[in-house]
Amino acid sequence: MQPGLSFEQAPPISVPYRFFLTAPLFGIAAGLFLLWQGPAAIASRWSPLSLALTHLLAVGFMLMAMCGAMLQVLPVAAGANIWRPLLVTRLTHAGLTLGTLLLVAGFLAEWPLLFKLAVAFLTVSLLFFALAVLLALLRTPAVGPTIVSLRIAVVGLFVTVILGATLATAFGWHLSLPLTHLTHVHAAWGLGGWSLLLVAGVGYFVVPMFQLTPSYPAWLSRSYAWALFCLLLAWSLAWLPDPRPQALQTLLACLAALLPLAFAVVTLRLQGRRRRKMVEPTLLFWRLGAGSLIAAMAVLLLQQLLPAVDAYVGTPFVIGTLLIVGVFMPLISGMLYKIMPFLNWLHLQKTGKPGLVVPNIRDMIPEARMFMQFRLHLAALVLLLAAVALPVLVYPAGLALAASCLWLERNLVTGTRNFIRFGEELKAAVARERQPERPAAA
Amino acid sequence: MGEARVIDGRAMAPPEPMEKTLSALQTLPDGEALTLLLRGKPFPLYAILKTRGFSHDTQTRPDGTVEVRIWKG
Repeated sequence: MQPGLSFEQAPPISVPYRFFLTAPLFGIAAGLFLLWQGPAAIASRWSPLSLALTHLLAVGFMLMAMCGAMLQVLPVAAGANIWRPLLVTRLTHAGLTLGTLLLVAGFLAEWPLLFKLAVAFLTVSLLFFALAVLLALLRTPAVGPTIVSLRIAVVGLFVTVILGATLATAFGWHLSLPLTHLTHVHAAWGLGGWSLLLVAGVGYFVVPMFQLTPSYPAWLSRSYAWALFCLLLAWSLAWLPDPRPQALQTLLACLAALLPLAFAVVTLRLQGRRRRKMVEPTLLFWRLGAGSLIAAMAVLLLQQLLPAVDAYVGTPFVIGTLLIVGVFMPLISGMLYKIMPFLNWLHLQKTGKPGLVVPNIRDMIPEARMFMQFRLHLAALVLLLAAVALPVLVYPAGLALAASCLWLERNLVTGTRNFIRFGEELKAAVARERQPERPAAA
Repeated sequence: MGEARVIDGRAMAPPEPMEKTLSALQTLPDGEALTLLLRGKPFPLYAILKTRGFSHDTQTRPDGTVEVRIWKG
């Protein structure tokens, strides 16, 4: 495969943008859901309300944005082409959107038919997506830690989807399965085996490139994905024997928690050594994400080692909030603010012709508005964490979360509109150049 | 001028190396080559070069630097 072929076969800009513009809408829905349900939404990890909230964010926001980014990152970063990108996009986007809505409705209504429909939409679309992406990743001639991490991450997505489908099938058909154990394993693969490995794979590529830092050290980038995958696998299998080897499982969980902790510390240290010392929004989002990752893994370690922390009812909520609202949502926001202006610029290059200047990437989305969304999101995270101790704070937390996602949506809509506007201006300029000079009308 | 035909993009954030390259290619004389130094392969640039009638050759140096030579034709 010739590297030069990559861009012609790369998807049109509408492929990632439909995912990017849909994701914040689920974030807004999650914020409004908190306002609607109040403290009941976070009372227990196992309540249907809490599961509905988790999936609005983990699937509706996170997975939606991650799928869109993956479809775009592969051709640009790795020269890896997706088979029939438009078909994969339409199926994945429709399946994710409808599947998330049905799943959330299933948790709220506790109606088996909704779970059955959600399983169909989510499983078919996500397995199709994972297969298409894995094929592209296996066929690319590119090598390096980004490709290895992304390949393992997609395997993690397969595991997550299969386990999630099993759980939803159990709800839909009233099967008797060890639901608690399966839920732990499903969540660990979704957040660790897929999301954290995707962050690592993308991080190895974008942190040095966009923030002009040194590269990630080889000891980390070569071993992190494999080590986390193997530890997760061993930890998952340790649920099977009866009696369960509890001490071994605790050891595996602690080792698995140390790896993302190391990744986050290294990321912060690399960013401290960046060549341009200016503070821009994506840097702040990455710092918040890395800081939250350190905090989440510290709480996870305490949960494993201290029975009092493990017994505290708020511990799973703190870990989940730190990971979803503290790590993944900020990292996704920060990355979208790099990806969208860059893609705008890149696709406008194709519209124009040599000699015509494409607008600067800084003109695509105003930076001040990105900073505003960062502040709103930070407020949402702090308020949500404080709501564990003071549940009434869930109301301002919901408001802040909805506002942060609304701001993100507004910023992405502005980026999309600017792409259309600049594209029309460039087309008009090209048309003007093609027209022969006419004498002025008498 | 040989030295003016090298763009070191290793300390630039995207898309600055591509902007500088596309701008420099507009004045590249026939028979001369432009060298671009980067930290990774510029897959999107290859496609733009193809549509604008440029050829390219990419080598990776032992230190990981990617060296892209670009010429007309």
